[in-house]
Amino acid sequence: MNDFTLVLKNLFRKKLRAILLLFSILSAFLIFGALGSFYKVFTAGVEVAAADRLITVNKINFTVSLPLAYVNRVRSIEGVRNASHASWFGGYYQDPRKQVQTFAIEADTYLAAYSELVMPDEQRKAFMETRDCLLTGIDLVDQYGWKLGDSVPINSNIWQKKDGSSVWEFTICAIFDGDKETVPANYLMFHYDYFNENLAFARDKAGWIILNSEDPAMNDDISKQIDTLFANSQAETKTSTESAFNKAFLQQMGNIGLILSSVIGAAFATILMIVGTTMVMAVSERTKEIAVMKTLGFRTGRIFRLVLSESLLLALLGGLIGLGIAWALVDLAIGPALSGFLPGMRLTADIALLAIVLMLALGLITGILPALKAMNVAIVDALGKN
Amino acid sequence: MSKTEPLYVLRGLSKQYSRGKETIPIFDGLDMEIANGEFMAIMGPSGSGKTTLLNQLGGIDAPTTGEVIFDGRRIDNLGQGALAKWRSENVGFIFQFYNLMPTLTAAQNVELPLLLSPVKGAERKKRVATALDIVGIGDRAKHYPRQLSGGQQQRVAIARAIVADPKVLLCDEPTGDLDRTSADEVLEMLQLLNTKMGKTIIMVTHDPAAAKYAKTELFLDKGKFIKKGSKK
Amino acid sequence: MFKQIAALTKLNLRSIPQRWGMSLATVFSVALVVLVLMAFLAMANGFKATLSGSGSTDVAVMLRKGAQAELNSGISLAQLRLIREAPGIARNADGNTIVSGELYVIVDGLKRTTLTDVNLPLRGVEPDALVLRQGLKIVEGHMFGSGSNELIVGQAILREFAGFDLGSEVRLGTATWKVVGVFSTGGTVFESEIWADAGSIQSLYQRGSGYQSVRAKLDGADGLKALQDWAENEPTLNLDIITEKEFFSGQASGITNIILYMGWPLAIVMAFGALAGAWNTMYASVEARTREIATLRAIGFAGFAAFVSTLVEALLLAFVGGLVGSVLAWLIFNGISASTLGGNFTQVVFAFEVTGEAVQSGIVMALIIGLLGGIIPSIRAARVPLLSVHGG
Ligand SMILES: Nc1ncnc2c1ncn2[C@@H]1O[C@H](COP(=O)(O)OP(=O)(O)OP(=O)(O)O)[C@@H](O)[C@H]1O
Ligand SMILES: [Mg+2]
Repeated sequence: MNDFTLVLKNLFRKKLRAILLLFSILSAFLIFGALGSFYKVFTAGVEVAAADRLITVNKINFTVSLPLAYVNRVRSIEGVRNASHASWFGGYYQDPRKQVQTFAIEADTYLAAYSELVMPDEQRKAFMETRDCLLTGIDLVDQYGWKLGDSVPINSNIWQKKDGSSVWEFTICAIFDGDKETVPANYLMFHYDYFNENLAFARDKAGWIILNSEDPAMNDDISKQIDTLFANSQAETKTSTESAFNKAFLQQMGNIGLILSSVIGAAFATILMIVGTTMVMAVSERTKEIAVMKTLGFRTGRIFRLVLSESLLLALLGGLIGLGIAWALVDLAIGPALSGFLPGMRLTADIALLAIVLMLALGLITGILPALKAMNVAIVDALGKN
Repeated sequence: MSKTEPLYVLRGLSKQYSRGKETIPIFDGLDMEIANGEFMAIMGPSGSGKTTLLNQLGGIDAPTTGEVIFDGRRIDNLGQGALAKWRSENVGFIFQFYNLMPTLTAAQNVELPLLLSPVKGAERKKRVATALDIVGIGDRAKHYPRQLSGGQQQRVAIARAIVADPKVLLCDEPTGDLDRTSADEVLEMLQLLNTKMGKTIIMVTHDPAAAKYAKTELFLDKGKFIKKGSKK
Repeated sequence: MFKQIAALTKLNLRSIPQRWGMSLATVFSVALVVLVLMAFLAMANGFKATLSGSGSTDVAVMLRKGAQAELNSGISLAQLRLIREAPGIARNADGNTIVSGELYVIVDGLKRTTLTDVNLPLRGVEPDALVLRQGLKIVEGHMFGSGSNELIVGQAILREFAGFDLGSEVRLGTATWKVVGVFSTGGTVFESEIWADAGSIQSLYQRGSGYQSVRAKLDGADGLKALQDWAENEPTLNLDIITEKEFFSGQASGITNIILYMGWPLAIVMAFGALAGAWNTMYASVEARTREIATLRAIGFAGFAAFVSTLVEALLLAFVGGLVGSVLAWLIFNGISASTLGGNFTQVVFAFEVTGEAVQSGIVMALIIGLLGGIIPSIRAARVPLLSVHGG
């Protein structure tokens, strides 16, 4: 028998009570793990953004297009290593209510800009050489059961072809994936040339321009140069880093971070109260025993540590189980289910680490009061009263 | 023994507790009669089974085998509900630690058993007042248990035990927690209830001085009555 | 039996102050669960109310087939001319059909709370647009002049976003525009829009003479059917025609569902945590009262009464928690203004709405927590061994 035996015995002296407390703590850490993972993947666009990547959009709004000629003018600016452009296609497959993100891109420069998009060499070659090729994200291949060589009609809810139809025919000749899990592979791309020459209206426009700087340190400078270049023209521009652009876009949804942290805060406030009051009660139940231990010669410091260890152990046990369930839920169920919208949702090591810090904090906060109380038990009072 | 029908008849009463595989026999075939109007003190060493016996008499525990007959009616085989009703009509309990409800006043504590009887309204108030007067603490009706001394609390408990006018009072060490003076007051009161109101009283006690108040003293050891003394 | 239950319940509730720490923890943990649930419900309800309150059943919205949103759609001047003569559309005093060809483009605005760029809808409208939005009032300034570079803005735009105050100048493309009026539509989604003359927007965006959507006042209950049938048979038209009400409720469901799919599971997991707390509290309650309960049963009270009274305590604590949560939710959330990216890819300003129905859900959830947390301790109360009268 050692001190740990004492801690365990005390913690589980009322088994049901301990189990209920564990359950309570578990629920908060389950929420923390799940929401933390969600937030992480939700903001992944900001994190996976390459440091040297910039986005130039129309100053009125990013949904308003730019003249195609701008791309070459951006290319000629000093410090721009690579420039490409993309246009929003507004695609859907069969069901108009289910959008499939689709972009018309300038292929070679675009793939050069997004080096994290990977595919076998022969497919890359096929894409470059096939006019009506649909470069398909691997997630969509899984979702729609497509395979290489399939002919796929994609409707556009914006663009009509010269013949008045809005159905565009493509062949899947390449399938891309991200080199990391967090890189989305849930969209379609095809050649801008194929798009532009079939368009019924609004030809020779670029939706937005993507460029790589030679050195991220030059980003600010390049942004200013571009925006000055087009100042006072009929289409003024706004250039920002990819991560800033993505962040701003996420903020359009609302303050998701605040909402999620409030929920987590509420969950923790709940268990703080439940666990805190129960631990205080659990210790006052034992006043007599503690007094006896003191008469036996246990020092106050040791009693303090014993009681504190109890709530730390409780918090760690409950927290780790909760985190385990969160992991199972996120990595095995929610993550795969949401891979279409939020690819790569996982409970990562940094979230787990933060959770463990929170467990320790919870254990300390809920344990400190009872531990002090236990430490200050007066032998005469405790043993005197009945 | 009185010639009239006895109030209690115990026949072949056995009680054993099992602790794991072990069984501990407390009584093994106890036979006994308790007359109406008796004031009996049961004494005996700790663990001899006094409380256990009282539990059987009060219908809060059932014998392993044997019969408990009260007023000609078997109570050991009654169901939970019937037993509860029987207790509310026939038995008053008095415990060593009073067992008053801490959140109720003295009067409210005394009133509790009447909630189980058809007694209502003014009649109920009167009964409570009478019971409190009998035990001599009518002036403390509005007080809470924590505002009363041990002796006073025990009087409230006695008032509670008699308010529904039961036939028998079962007392487990009613003076165990009291000083001599308070104990004597309580015992005098029990004696009075026995003589003036005809209550049958069965009292477990460790205190030979307390036992002197009873009409009959019994000594219990290892589940058997070994000595019996009657003063009257 | 009822008397017994009432008496024991009273006894029970009076003893709560002796366990106030745990009881309070239970009340507040339930309150927090309800608060979180209500926050999500208030958000979803507010958003839904704004969108579904916007649509009128006697206005038809026409978009190019498959476009889904005004932003994607395109309608030519020739098509609009044809629609002006269509059957099923109501006519004004002058005998002209009530029709507005409209453009819908997006401009950047600055969200006041976060100071970040957001998408705001700029709508180009024709004069009949005013008739087609019931309750539209210019509350400050005046209407834009026809063909001018003038804007009027909805009240919600002023509230949530910077840069469109009355009198301010806004640069879009090469031209400078002036905000000359503020309008209200009684809290509908149109208040999150900026309006200008359709012709001015056409030239700003080099749209030529094209439009994106057409709104028309329907002529009675059969108007929609007449219009749809007619459009079916017009070879040069390729339109989706639905009532405005349907149009907006379709947009409401997506985001409302996301909020609800998030809110409910979170509240339920939290509820399990609170449930464990309530259970624990009730066990402590029963434990503290063990001798009391045994004594009462020795006196003759029924186990069932002890069961009910304990359950009532649990339900009451939970109910108070539910009430506290609801009141807090109402105080904190009701009416606060927020905006999010709506179905049209632009900001929709809405106010959180704590509805009676949401309060009901919150209270029901609280009571379920109380019931599940209290039931087993209550059974235990009913089964307190009578022998516990002897203390220990
Ligand atoms: N629930 C139980 N389970 C097992 N054994 C029990 C139980 N209750 C009582 N006993 C045993 O039965 C025996 C008689 O107990 P009881 O309480 O009747 O003694 P008592 O005469 O009242 O003693 P005291 O004078 O100490 O009150 C004791 O040995 C006790 O250990
Ligand atoms: Mg005893």
